[in-house]
Amino acid sequence: MNAIEVRAVTKDFGKLAVLKGINLDVKQGEIFTLLGANGAGKSTLINILTTLSQPQSGTVSLMGLDPTKAGNHVRELISLNAQTATLDGEFTGAENLRLIAQLRGIKDQKVEIAAIATRLDLTGFLNRKVKTYSGGMRRRLDIAMSLIGDPQIVFLDEPTTGVDPQNRLALWRSIREIRDAGKTVFLTTQYLDEADALSDHIAFIHDGVIVKHGTPEEIKQRVTTTYTLQVAPNDKDAADQTLTTNGIDYTQGEHGISLTATNATKALTTLLSAQITIEHYDRDEADLESVFLNVTNREAANENA
Amino acid sequence: MKTPKQLGVLTGRIIRQNLTNADTIITVIAMPIFILLFFVYVMGGNIATAGGSGSAAYLRYALPGFLLLTMAMGSAYTSMRINLDRTSGFLDRLHSLPIPRWVILGSHVLASVIFMLIAEVAVFLVGLLMGYRTNATISSTLMFIGLSILFGLGITLLAIPFSLKADNAASAGGFSYVLLMLLFVSSALMPTKGMAKPVQIFADYQPMTPIVNTARGLLDQATAVGQHTGIVAFVWLIGGILVFALLSYRVYVRMFLTR
Repeated sequence: MNAIEVRAVTKDFGKLAVLKGINLDVKQGEIFTLLGANGAGKSTLINILTTLSQPQSGTVSLMGLDPTKAGNHVRELISLNAQTATLDGEFTGAENLRLIAQLRGIKDQKVEIAAIATRLDLTGFLNRKVKTYSGGMRRRLDIAMSLIGDPQIVFLDEPTTGVDPQNRLALWRSIREIRDAGKTVFLTTQYLDEADALSDHIAFIHDGVIVKHGTPEEIKQRVTTTYTLQVAPNDKDAADQTLTTNGIDYTQGEHGISLTATNATKALTTLLSAQITIEHYDRDEADLESVFLNVTNREAANENA
Repeated sequence: MKTPKQLGVLTGRIIRQNLTNADTIITVIAMPIFILLFFVYVMGGNIATAGGSGSAAYLRYALPGFLLLTMAMGSAYTSMRINLDRTSGFLDRLHSLPIPRWVILGSHVLASVIFMLIAEVAVFLVGLLMGYRTNATISSTLMFIGLSILFGLGITLLAIPFSLKADNAASAGGFSYVLLMLLFVSSALMPTKGMAKPVQIFADYQPMTPIVNTARGLLDQATAVGQHTGIVAFVWLIGGILVFALLSYRVYVRMFLTR
């Protein structure tokens, strides 16, 4: 069963179309990351999914419930961690956690708060006022507040923005633990390495449209993974002739023959059939940053065409 | 049972924020007390009221006005608290929790009125220490409390649109200067009859004067306040509450429920 289903969702702000027909499926128990530049529509989509906003058209379903019809039931199942930590600085960490526990009607508040504080390494700081917390601790407390009440879907809107590397790694561990506990995590981030490290599935949103989605590996492979092969020096001309004759696109680079994922296998078998000696064969996997740039540049070029 | 508990939890949070914040205490409780002391002991002896002249007569005349002034100063902090919750994203967090939507702003309204009443009681106690004596009956005391609640509710509802629309907390409380100006140019701190004629006309017909006069009459039975004044005050209060409630609701719906 999908935790989240989004079908043909649009959202306008006046004449500005922010979401232009979004379709998404997020499986239960996975970390799903929505990647996109500022203004791409990430927060607008999160607002719709967390019942803060309504779509112009299209449908949304969370754990089988329509938030426009069963808003309070949906809110029982989700939690939102916004871009900025929403804490009371004058209160202690424990008091901040207790506030959410009371609002969610948790019966055994002490036990739940203690368990969540342990998971997020906050136990030693719970009785300190939040205004004395570091940025990373504030973020961890904010996420801890989101976990009160055992929500099935946790929305994390850029949770590591402005967090130092050490705390960032600690937050990554916590996010994985949420997934490992069977919860669904819907993450947005500006950091491509973060999406790569954490996500089970990724979607790129650009100008209100999902332009690419899949697992991190699928996306990287599908878009820009290149294969390089080197033939024996004596076979170089023969290799050129064989590939050209068979209509296989390639580029002759400094390190050998460069091929795309779509023609690499055909090129390899053709060259081997032609008795050409291949000395080296390598796969250069793209990182998400190059995928992201590839996608956004291509979309921009399409718009200008 | 869950909804009243949620309302209580959120209301308690805001009252606690106010009572543990030195800036709020200074502005909403200490400053009105200082102004009261200044007006009574520095200027009061030079202001003639219907009860005569001198500090004691002035205190008897002006304390009800100072009580409403205290509440008006509190409205600035109502606006700032709501604005801080909006700009920090806390309102969004609350909107994503299983809480009836009316409870979220309702807790701010309830906390605001309660905190204004706390500040009012503090200033009233200082007034008692300074020598103010009320001869109010039980019914007039209850009516004064009711008038205070209506006044606090009205200016809290007025604060909401400003608090939701303002870019930051500092500018959210700006509207309260208009309330303070209305109280200064009314019968709150001195009789209107000595004012310049155009100012006197404005003072006599703006809402604060009948409200203050009614408050004065309820606390001091010796002060003759016509039934007509009480009715006018009531109409202003109820009318203001309805208008500001509608305005607040429309701004809130536009910003949060139909976005």
